[in-house]
Amino acid sequence: MFLRQRESLSFDRSVPGKRGMDLPKLDVPAAKDTRPAHLKRSGFDALPELSEVEVIRHFTRLSKWNYGVDDGIYPLGSCTMKHNPRLNEKVAGLPGFTDSHPMAPDALVQGNLETLFTLQEWLKEITGLPGITLQPSAGAAGELTGVMLIRAYHVAQGAKRRVILIPDSGHGTNPATAAMAGYEVVELPSRPDGTISFEDVTDPLNGKVRKGLKTLVAELGTEIAGAMITNPNTVGVFEFRFKEISDLLHSVGALVYMDGANMNALVGVARPGDFGVDVMHLNLHKTFSTPHGGGGPGAGPVCCTEKLLPFLPVPVVVRDTVKVGEGEVPRHTYRWDWDRPQSIGKVHTFYGNFGILVRALTYCLSHGSDGLKEATLRAIVNANYIRARLKGAYALHIDSPSLHEVVFSDTLQAKHDVHTLDIAKRLIDHGYHPPTIYFPLIVPGALMIEPTESEDKGELDAFCDTMLAIAKEVEENPEALHQAPTLAPLRRMDETTAARKPVLRWTKA
Amino acid sequence: MRYLPSSPAEDRALLDTIGVARAEDLLTGIPESLRLKGGLDLPAQGSEQEVTWQMLDLANKNTRFCAQFLGAGAYDHFVPAAIDAMVGRQEWFTAYTPYQPEISQGTLQHLFEYQTLICDLTGLDVTNASLYDGGTACVETALMAVRVQKKRHTVLVSRGLHPLYRQVLKTNFAPHDDLKLVEVDLKDGVTDLADLQAKLSGDVAAVMVGYPNFLGAVEDLSALAGPVHAAGALLVSVTQEALAFGWLEAPGKAGADMACGEAMSFGNKPNFGGPYLGFLAVKDAHKREIPGRVVGQTKDLDGRTGYVLTLTAREQHIRRDKATSNICSNQGLVTLRANIFLQLAGPEGLKGLAEQNVAKAQYLRQRLLELPDMEPVLEVPFFNEFVLRYTGDYAALQEACLKESLLPGLDLGRFYPEYQGCILWCATELHTRQMIESLVEILARVPATV
Repeated sequence: MFLRQRESLSFDRSVPGKRGMDLPKLDVPAAKDTRPAHLKRSGFDALPELSEVEVIRHFTRLSKWNYGVDDGIYPLGSCTMKHNPRLNEKVAGLPGFTDSHPMAPDALVQGNLETLFTLQEWLKEITGLPGITLQPSAGAAGELTGVMLIRAYHVAQGAKRRVILIPDSGHGTNPATAAMAGYEVVELPSRPDGTISFEDVTDPLNGKVRKGLKTLVAELGTEIAGAMITNPNTVGVFEFRFKEISDLLHSVGALVYMDGANMNALVGVARPGDFGVDVMHLNLHKTFSTPHGGGGPGAGPVCCTEKLLPFLPVPVVVRDTVKVGEGEVPRHTYRWDWDRPQSIGKVHTFYGNFGILVRALTYCLSHGSDGLKEATLRAIVNANYIRARLKGAYALHIDSPSLHEVVFSDTLQAKHDVHTLDIAKRLIDHGYHPPTIYFPLIVPGALMIEPTESEDKGELDAFCDTMLAIAKEVEENPEALHQAPTLAPLRRMDETTAARKPVLRWTKA
Repeated sequence: MRYLPSSPAEDRALLDTIGVARAEDLLTGIPESLRLKGGLDLPAQGSEQEVTWQMLDLANKNTRFCAQFLGAGAYDHFVPAAIDAMVGRQEWFTAYTPYQPEISQGTLQHLFEYQTLICDLTGLDVTNASLYDGGTACVETALMAVRVQKKRHTVLVSRGLHPLYRQVLKTNFAPHDDLKLVEVDLKDGVTDLADLQAKLSGDVAAVMVGYPNFLGAVEDLSALAGPVHAAGALLVSVTQEALAFGWLEAPGKAGADMACGEAMSFGNKPNFGGPYLGFLAVKDAHKREIPGRVVGQTKDLDGRTGYVLTLTAREQHIRRDKATSNICSNQGLVTLRANIFLQLAGPEGLKGLAEQNVAKAQYLRQRLLELPDMEPVLEVPFFNEFVLRYTGDYAALQEACLKESLLPGLDLGRFYPEYQGCILWCATELHTRQMIESLVEILARVPATV
């Protein structure tokens, strides 16, 4: 896999006079220079001069230092690294889609509008929620849109309110989002089983009391705008009292936001609309198989209840039925509705990451109602199989029933002074991408494993065998693990110096 | 189901090891009352062939054009074949955010190169691993400006900024009762200096201007920098057509303190508005306030050079509600397209391409002005877009164009009442002289309105 150990920066290999791109012959008069003299491009310091051959080889070699889903299991918990079907890629590249202009009149982009409308219908049925926008570009953008909907709702009721409640197990984007939407964050403590605590929790270490949901609702009451709850939570456990939580919040007029990052455990099995969720986002780059692209682009559609509908971002895609003669099949036309006076406005320049939305619809059509549920069940079976095989060798800090992911702790290995980071790095030596580590924060030395439905028994066994071999190595030769990885192109990186004396771009020597 | 790999026998073995009879027995954590009774009311699964036809049918319902004379924030440029070939490698498109550097050096080194190029194009010191798009990049930049400029709460926004960017800004400023967005008028197609000066105050954190602006006009950043800096505010350039960096001086060298915008022009098709590529570049002094992922160079234990995600103490997974932004996933694969595009182009390719855009737009404008019902509106330098007044009926013009498979420019009145009856035209290297002549010929035949 790693054919060459070094690949220098392109800038260091630039040779004057090389070109990787040629231009068509100019068939109109040359441009008149109308720029003020001081706004003429003075030149470039870094832009390299390379041939196409070199550029292609450079990016091919660099690619070989990456690990992708096609290399094998990619067990990052909460990231849902499932197979990225090639059909999705092919369809998203159809010129009928890629050439279409976002400012073109509605009549000329009927295929796009129908695509978006159809995807919305699927996602509405899957979540059991009647309102939707496809505009947010990623999960965090979806969260922000959702919390802005909550805010707009409260403002329409008379007061925006002050506080958003977020469990201590929540992803960092939740509190960051609440702050970006102008809210104060109050943390909800977890119970030993990883779910939200209704009662106050006393910290065994310092004796400090952390207020539980009941106390917070009683004390803060109508100051609470809403709560952001990941379900299943980041420990892979379903908030089994979700309905009671939403009822309690609704009793003071607060709304419930569900972070849908872990929807891969619920599709076809349970619907958030049925347990009191007012608004939520989906990560199409997780649950709906669109590729992660080394950090995006994703898509974070937001679904909501009837009462939040008026506040959805503009524009909203609308389907009109064209009147036809008796006995004929009705025809539909689609259009953007911009005239929504209570809308929060726009959250993306155009309509979101359209190419990703096309892929998600392709995934839906390929799976169908039956396949979507089957995928969920297989994802849950795979996680529980890993749990069954590794339980004992690794500590289960929280023993609640796992759904699509399982979180271990490094407490057994820590006795040998081997920690989660060492285990993760040793996995790299064995040719695996490590799981999510040190998250959620409520599990000491967390190793969060999510296999998804894409792994067969053979791949699961190979991964589990490796994890067991590492556990054995910890007991026999713990020192060796501190050196891992030794087989990757690079050993452990000096991240402290990287942050203290940041070098964030190449500069000419 | 072709994406679910285990055989029935393997499934049985998995369930046996777990110790349950059926997969459904693993759902005990979900209360019975909250489980879905019956199935989802959705169509059954489709085969690869069926789904291909279904999606082809949708794609074919969009109208295709020989030429689009429409830009307005979404530009149609040529995409070299090498780009699709490269990003089609699974090592790039199926990988996750590079959290584990030893196994993600490909993505990390690419991002370091990408950051270098964005800094080069903008003439600034530090950038990040991307933002979602032009509109949301404006939001992150404006919020960063008020963070950096402590005790200043107002952001002035030129009306020359893309109207949809301004809408996204407005949405995201609404929750902050302490922050204010104030628009600055245009005069002769560029930011009105008198209005700007009247609105500058000790509370203004930053001034955002288009470069080039939505009307295609080149704003004189250097002339604006004087009064903006004198008032203690930061000058932010917003570029919706990043190819202009091949023709115009880097904003950082022309007086801007921050540069943000949209870089979809580097290797992407219009794609109905996304995925695109938001960028933000700032000066070194502000680097610890930048939002999003940042890649830095470092050494491994053996002293070999490598790359890691860095300055993470700004980010949501560490700082939670005190983070500089909530952004997590960004536009990774689109940065790869831009990086490959720019490395193929090189300095000469980028300059040449930009000049062709200017030449085509100048020629289009000249030819359109030969028509009796087209009138000049602005006399300012422009890149690949410009405004003309049309004395005829836009609907009739549009209909005539569409009949011949040409997409005309934007009816500006939709966004700017003061430019009612004006059209924003765009030409790029994709527009041949022949296409331009056809457009002119068709427009010449549009019946005059009564």
